[in-house]
Amino acid sequence: MATVTYSGATRIYPGSEKPAVDKLDIEIQDGEFLVLVGPSGCGKSTSLRMLAGLEEVDEGSIYINDTDVSNLPPKSRDIAMVFQNYALYPHMSVFDNMAFALKLRRMPKADIKQRVEDAAKLLDLSDYLGRKPKALSGGQRQRVAMGRAIVREPQVFLMDEPLSNLDAKLRVQTRSQIASLQKRLGITTVYVTHDQIEAMTMGHRIAVMKDGLLQQCDTPRTLYEKPGNTFVAGFIGSPAMNLKTVSLTEAGALFGDVTLPLSREVRDAATQDGGDQQVTVGFRPEHCKLGAEGSGGIPVEVDLVEELGSEAYVYGHAAYNDSSERFVVRTESAHVPRLSETVYVVPEPGHEHVFHASTGQRLN
Amino acid sequence: MRTKATESLLHVVLLGWAALVTLPLAWAVLSSLKTDAEIFASPWSLPDELRWDNWARAWQEASIGRYLLNTLIVVGGALVLVMLLGALTAYCLARYRFPGNRVIYYTLVAGMLFPVFLALVPLFFVVDQLGMLGTYHGLILVYAAYALPFTVFFLHAFFRGLPTAVAEAAFLDGCSHTSAFFKVMLPMARPGMVSVGIFNFLGLWNQYLLPLVLNPDPDRYVLAQGLAALAVSQGYRSDFSGLFAGLIIAILPVLAAYVLFQRQIRSGLTAGAVR
Repeated sequence: MATVTYSGATRIYPGSEKPAVDKLDIEIQDGEFLVLVGPSGCGKSTSLRMLAGLEEVDEGSIYINDTDVSNLPPKSRDIAMVFQNYALYPHMSVFDNMAFALKLRRMPKADIKQRVEDAAKLLDLSDYLGRKPKALSGGQRQRVAMGRAIVREPQVFLMDEPLSNLDAKLRVQTRSQIASLQKRLGITTVYVTHDQIEAMTMGHRIAVMKDGLLQQCDTPRTLYEKPGNTFVAGFIGSPAMNLKTVSLTEAGALFGDVTLPLSREVRDAATQDGGDQQVTVGFRPEHCKLGAEGSGGIPVEVDLVEELGSEAYVYGHAAYNDSSERFVVRTESAHVPRLSETVYVVPEPGHEHVFHASTGQRLN
Repeated sequence: MRTKATESLLHVVLLGWAALVTLPLAWAVLSSLKTDAEIFASPWSLPDELRWDNWARAWQEASIGRYLLNTLIVVGGALVLVMLLGALTAYCLARYRFPGNRVIYYTLVAGMLFPVFLALVPLFFVVDQLGMLGTYHGLILVYAAYALPFTVFFLHAFFRGLPTAVAEAAFLDGCSHTSAFFKVMLPMARPGMVSVGIFNFLGLWNQYLLPLVLNPDPDRYVLAQGLAALAVSQGYRSDFSGLFAGLIIAILPVLAAYVLFQRQIRSGLTAGAVR
């Protein structure tokens, strides 16, 4: 049972000027499931490896409970990690893989057997304890890696993209298994992924990173409803939010001939800090409707329709301000427009996200 | 694409090659079981009766038994030493960054290219002044040093190829650097260790030049020296059957090693070629 605190933690790789992780501050509660998410190269894996003790902390510190672990070797941190490629010991049986850490701790043999068998039962591995990793399927190997972490009963679980080597169906299944297992064991968990759906479905809180900088750390719902900047707005949600930088008028944001009304405070905030009479407005595909001609919607010519059965996504482009802007709208599959047809996109009032045009920070 | 014609041509070449290697060996085995008179009178015929006493004579009178024991001690000792040192060195050079890493590595690689003939005279004086001339440990140390560059070179590539994450998993599981090496990385490198071990065994077993210079005591002769001495002395007494018997005794362990480990030898030859 432990809390984890990153306090200004920074990692600069040798031979590089730019920090891979830049002054990271996160407080992770006891028993929390925190997901680090971001595009590749954003520093999420490095952050995890700093906590594991596999990367140095060049500035700042990392605490587990109240202990500064920044300079402790990995073995003194009491953490267990699940690697992307599982990193099982190929020369050991499944049992020995799981028992290895316990043997190193000189735990009595009977206790080791008990713990490994319990974990194996939990993970449905009881029949495979005598096998070598190479005789297992990908999903089974993944479970052995989980088991190796579980038997340790560590203070913190670390998981580095543990599902990325599984096929799509197994990934969805294992995703919920890991989440429920974590809930049951109540062990503080830090989970790295590049997949925002994994992040949204598993995490109690999600930390979104980009270029080594923490963008926002909050619950999945808050990230979805109130993304703190344009990066988070574009990253969370699938298909991505329609994010457009348009002219700011006295009335609001101007999409060609159509004005999206904005409140006075938002308009004032948008003009500060070199806003340059521009504003970035976003609305999610699921938060707009397709209206008829004259409904005040933005005219969009349909390029592509993705039918998913229960719903459909309409992709199209609108020409205004001398540029062609792409839009995505979710619609019920009963009313799917034809290709090249012009539809009118009406954002639902109250669901728009407004950001500063140059800083990208949220305004409403 | 291989056509049938090239396939059969290939087989003809390989058959010729196999005959070239096997026939002299078979001829030596046959000759070791004949009398001297038979060898000279009808070199290609089968022996009238199998004369195992040639083997007994070689073993006892020509001291092949003692030479075999000497060789086992020296090669065995050198093998243990060079595998241990080589694995440790290769692992450190392959997986840790420190100043001088590359210098050490390339020095070792350069050692592989250095012709041992050039080192013989200085080596003789060094070993002599250390008082190790004609001793087991003197020869073991020189053998180990001789085999170390290749061992490190080979295992370096091998340790490089092992996944880093497994070592990291071992650290997280509570291993120190030492225990991660001995408990996880070394077992994972077993195929490489076996391959290079066999290469070293064969190379050191056949070593003639180094013992010729550094091992003057006839009681401590290794097999290659013993056989050469036998060839010289038996030449006058013309005990060719005994010489052939000694030769076969000397070959047998090497042959056994080839037969037992041929799969590893083959995989060792191509190790590192394809990941």
